Amino acid sequence: MRWFDDFFERGVRGVARRTSRRSALTRIGRLLVGSAFVLPVLPFDRIARTAEAAQKKSPPGETSCDYWRYCALDGYLCACCGGSASTCPPGTEASKVSWIGTCHNPHDGKDYLVSYNDCCGKGSCGRCLCNTNEGERPAYRMGLHNDINWCMANTDSTMFHCTTSVVVGLAEKS
Amino acid sequence: MSTWRRGPAIALAVATLASGGSWADVAIEQVTTAKLAPATPHRVYVTDVAISHIVDGRVHVVDGDSLKYLGMIASAYAGQTTLSQDGREFYVATTYYSRLSRGERTDVVDIYDTATLAQVGEIPIPPKHAQALNYKGILRTTRDGRFLLVQNATPATSVSVVDLKARKFVAEIPTPGCWTVIPSQSAPQRFAALCGDGSLLVVTLDGDGRQAKMARSAKFFDPDDDPLFVQSENLGDEHLFVSFKGKVYSADLSQETPRFGSPWSLVTPAEAKKNWRPGGYQPIAVHRGTHRLFVTMHPNGKEGSHKDPAQEIWVFDFDSKARIQRVKGANAVSISASQDDKPLLFALDGKNMGLVVFEAANKLVQKRRLDPLAETAFLLETQP
Repeated sequence: MRWFDDFFERGVRGVARRTSRRSALTRIGRLLVGSAFVLPVLPFDRIARTAEAAQKKSPPGETSCDYWRYCALDGYLCACCGGSASTCPPGTEASKVSWIGTCHNPHDGKDYLVSYNDCCGKGSCGRCLCNTNEGERPAYRMGLHNDINWCMANTDSTMFHCTTSVVVGLAEKS
Repeated sequence: MSTWRRGPAIALAVATLASGGSWADVAIEQVTTAKLAPATPHRVYVTDVAISHIVDGRVHVVDGDSLKYLGMIASAYAGQTTLSQDGREFYVATTYYSRLSRGERTDVVDIYDTATLAQVGEIPIPPKHAQALNYKGILRTTRDGRFLLVQNATPATSVSVVDLKARKFVAEIPTPGCWTVIPSQSAPQRFAALCGDGSLLVVTLDGDGRQAKMARSAKFFDPDDDPLFVQSENLGDEHLFVSFKGKVYSADLSQETPRFGSPWSLVTPAEAKKNWRPGGYQPIAVHRGTHRLFVTMHPNGKEGSHKDPAQEIWVFDFDSKARIQRVKGANAVSISASQDDKPLLFALDGKNMGLVVFEAANKLVQKRRLDPLAETAFLLETQP
């Protein structure tokens, strides 16, 4: 849901998303706890970009909260802050830990695991606040929680600047 | 205008005032600091993480009767807040960097006097306090007021125990996989936490605030199928929770082993079909004198709607479990009730960050609102 829209005046809403990928979420939650939240970071998401380019009507882009991979994001979109969906803005540092969402890509029909790394070391970006919560869980399932500062483990500075959405793999069907 | 030209003009104006010029009908004043009237149970503290300038959070203090803005308390970087048991002090567990957003990190509990809203002390704590949106349970005091329990996240979870009498940090207690602090209301040395496997962790402190015992209960909720919101409210030592799909759970902490009530549903089968669900950040409130339970509800709930604002606020009699009223929800994402015999229900409008005040003595009736009050607030606490 995008009820923050009313307050923060962002763009039109759009893409419907699939729900209930509980088993994948649970599995990832366990994985995170078991691995001290260290995640593999895969290369940029080429699939989405290709699919996006093929569309006649341009679907929500990476500066829109409706972009498919932002389905469990709570923060400022780094794409509005000098970075992109998967890069931190210049002069900031990617968070060492992150929470995980499972988002449906409408362009290829697949579900992807998305690592929501915060970017750290400067004050809030303040641009493009986005609050979505598909599969988000309270902090007793820490790896699925987005109401906490994921810069918390960075040693230079835990200051929260913005949030990326890095595709880290395909989610298995539940 | 350059400074040298402006200077004499100001000097002339001051001289005119000082000479009692004929136009000075307004009494001459001296600036002072306003004094607060004694706090009433209708005073509310609204914790605002101010996410667009998160290093500079604040707590808005408002009188719920007059809607007068009484003043502000600084909560700094993702500070967590709670009142003392007697309401005389307000605690902020927060982080400061020596260079605002970089440099040396210092975590402290700032102590504010609620009679003056002035900062009166600080207690250094380990630099681990949870830099989180504000949820009830991230910072709580024990029932006897002796210890302050600070939720930590690194992201490994633990609780820092602060001795409020000695004004010092005492101990860190690991609480892996568990979250929030739920203080027992009959055994002040005991607190509980909700855990990711559906159990309750129960910790017992010794007289100095160090861990004496720790035990896990059996699983009492299903975090996969129907997770609990972390906020709890107590009636005596019975602590109430609601689940994402609208069930009420309870845990009695008066014994060493918690006793769980039978879960019951807020929604009828017909309402469940329409997916009426609780939502928000502080979705429940209770009035302990009348055993009434207030819940922020929205229809068409689905995966991911659990922080949505209320379309309605539902009122239940906790003892009979009967719903006694439905009112328009004021887009509430957080609610809190005063505990006096003319109670108010405070609601935070999640869409425009206004404070909405309901009278709750008999029927719940919306009376007034203050718009806007906050930037991005999520937690309300009323004066005891």
